[in-house]
Amino acid sequence: MNSYSYEELSVGTTETFEVEVTDEMLRAFCEMSGDVNPLHTDADFAKSRGFDSKVVYGMLTSSFYSTLVGVYLPGERCILQEISIKFRKPVYVGDVIRVTGRVIEKTDFVKRVVIKAFAENQTGVKVNTATISVGL
Amino acid sequence: MNREKIFLTVNEIFREIFDDPELSVTDKTDANDIEDWDSLEQINLLVAMEKKFLIKFSVDDVENLQNVGETVDLIIRKIEEKGDEQL
Repeated sequence: MNSYSYEELSVGTTETFEVEVTDEMLRAFCEMSGDVNPLHTDADFAKSRGFDSKVVYGMLTSSFYSTLVGVYLPGERCILQEISIKFRKPVYVGDVIRVTGRVIEKTDFVKRVVIKAFAENQTGVKVNTATISVGL
Repeated sequence: MNREKIFLTVNEIFREIFDDPELSVTDKTDANDIEDWDSLEQINLLVAMEKKFLIKFSVDDVENLQNVGETVDLIIRKIEEKGDEQL
């Protein structure tokens, strides 16, 4: 786990990690959240809506932003304050998601940083983007 | 920029942060008067004011602010200090 201090972070500091989305994650998220919408649980239903297969919950893939700030940037000292996410493309089971965050702004008197982040799949398609504010 | 103009701009920032186009603050408005005005929104307000007025606050500047009027007075002081530095 990283442990950047506020002073160690600069505009431009960047961290990246990868994670593969599994069917087990989908089932666990379904059970945890209670979101039983068939778009996420029934491949035939998802196909009838124009998707390739079951669509991974947007909130599941966006949970990787929690990992980004809590483990990588800044890591241990992170207090997540705000996050705004745009869901751009569907994610499917088996996709390998690469999450990248870059510090774009620092506010010294409250030790807050703003991070622009995005998640892309194994073909380089951005599946979602986020703006995240964290305190340290 | 005179106090009235600064105050109007501050009011706009409050409207934006609290997503309430009808919100009108006064010098005496404080965190007890706006339900969602918590420590996080205080940070959001002050960061928005820094950006809008192109000033920089310190921890000492903001830790004892009591209401909108004191915040407006602080902004005026920071703008004046910035002007002095540029002379």
